[in-house]
Amino acid sequence: MSQVLLDIENITVKFGGVTALNNVMMQVKNNEIAALIGPNGAGKTTVFNIITGYYQPNEGNFKLDGQTLLGKKPHQIARSGLARTFQNIRLFGDMTALENVQTAADGLNKSGLVGSLFGVTRSRKDEKQSKETAHELLDFIGLDHRAGQLARNLPYGDQRRLEIARALALKPKVLLLDEPAAGFNPQEKNDLGALIRKIRDKGNSVLLIEHDMSLVMDVSDRVMVLDFGNKIADGTPKEVQNDQRVIDAYLGVVENDS
Amino acid sequence: MKLLSFNLRDKFGDWWDSSSLLQRTIFRVVLIGIFFALPLINNPIIDTPETSFESVLFYPLIMFAIMAVGLNVVVGKSGILDLGYVAFFAIGAYTQAMFGIYTDLSFWIVLLLGMGFAMIAGVILGIPALRLRGDYLAIITLGFGEIVRIVAVNTEAIGGASGLSDIPPPPNINFLEFSVQETRSYYWLSLVLFLVLILGIVRLGNRKPGRAWEAIREDEDVASFMGVATFKYKLWAFVIGGAIGGMAGVIYASQVLSIQPELFTLNLSIMILACVVFGGMGNIWGVIFGAVLLGYLPEKLRFLSDIRILIFGLLMVVMMNIRPNGLIPRKKREKISEKLK
Repeated sequence: MSQVLLDIENITVKFGGVTALNNVMMQVKNNEIAALIGPNGAGKTTVFNIITGYYQPNEGNFKLDGQTLLGKKPHQIARSGLARTFQNIRLFGDMTALENVQTAADGLNKSGLVGSLFGVTRSRKDEKQSKETAHELLDFIGLDHRAGQLARNLPYGDQRRLEIARALALKPKVLLLDEPAAGFNPQEKNDLGALIRKIRDKGNSVLLIEHDMSLVMDVSDRVMVLDFGNKIADGTPKEVQNDQRVIDAYLGVVENDS
Repeated sequence: MKLLSFNLRDKFGDWWDSSSLLQRTIFRVVLIGIFFALPLINNPIIDTPETSFESVLFYPLIMFAIMAVGLNVVVGKSGILDLGYVAFFAIGAYTQAMFGIYTDLSFWIVLLLGMGFAMIAGVILGIPALRLRGDYLAIITLGFGEIVRIVAVNTEAIGGASGLSDIPPPPNINFLEFSVQETRSYYWLSLVLFLVLILGIVRLGNRKPGRAWEAIREDEDVASFMGVATFKYKLWAFVIGGAIGGMAGVIYASQVLSIQPELFTLNLSIMILACVVFGGMGNIWGVIFGAVLLGYLPEKLRFLSDIRILIFGLLMVVMMNIRPNGLIPRKKREKISEKLK
């Protein structure tokens, strides 16, 4: 029934003497919104950087839909179904909103440079297709009326949503969102929650890093907690909220010397 | 300042977007017509003193323009700083010299060979160099440009420091006669090739490769996270830029009769880079404009004799201060009309 889509197996990452991730296991199931939370510096973004191929782990493996992605290049991983957004917005500022999304959609068609230069039918078909995909996605996040504007001229909230549309253009099996609600007001957070559910209902799984607990607890099917590179909890929002180790990690432990 | 930053570009762009196919065609034909007619115009205002205007049109004008368009793919579109672009020009020139002098191969085949060798050189340089970024990459390309020149100086088989002479001109095409005196023919030939080149580059720029290059320029890491095969597209940019430089080199060598390694110094690389930056990095029309201006000005200023380079430098400093992003910057106009059909 609930099949495992993204399977992170015993990943360990060390930067010099610092262990950023220690033997972490994580799973994202089919059609699930999973959240990854933890105090600052717990290693959440490192998880994203590992599974998108930016860093190589010292140990461990990760699979998407049964296929090992360890050692693959970032663009290969992106095309095989893991697409991400960024904690600090990183759009292609000098390109239009449409082009931003289209660039990602291009990754899924096969036409190469020589085909684009000389080819007529195939390349033209691919161009048309990626443009349509991009328009549909902009429409999906409610930004199609700004398709022709430069990404850097868009308002902050639109930029955040454009990043999501760009990642969706890769038709990800699991969408990785890195603090998508940062800087949002309560209304915008609500809208974002609704958008994330809408993405799940389209058939994508979502792995969400977020500091805003009301959003996390509201939207997630499952919550995983990292602390100093160790996974300390994994369960429904309710279970996690009542977990003593999680409370300790967030609020600190009273040292008792006696 | 305000006066100089008026936006002709947006006005023209709006007109262009709303123009009909007929209007566009007329505009294109007239513009191209003007360029073809340039060598026939004998006007003291545009004429260059002390050098023949016809030869200025060929070198530096159209040669600079071709090379600037080639370098723009690398520097402007993809954001790879290449300081050794002259190497590709040299490779093209030496290809034409060697094959022209020692074989009976037709000029057109040698033209393709020159582009091919330049592309191979681009791959050989690109595979190690493009693993680096920014300053380090710039230093490697700088070294490459120097290496090619120094190899030419020290290889007796290709003429050593004294170079090669008696390079044959291309065969005549109907009424077009190619000889040292007839620079107009070379200009027209280059112009035709240049137009084909622009068609190809604009087409690539509007399609998947163009978006990939721009994404790489904007943020290479993010581009790769978004499924762009960054290394492949950087290498393609390098190879295409190289081929264009090689093409310019072949045509150039077929005109000048003799070439020496000293023609291909760092100065020329910097000059072409200046055309790109001065015109507006990443915008093909700006870059062409920049090349035309930077090729033309030093010749026009020749009456100033010794201080002409000083004046030329001053003009560049002033221009870059007024328009730091180039004469016609790449900043895209926003197309509000872009909607789902």
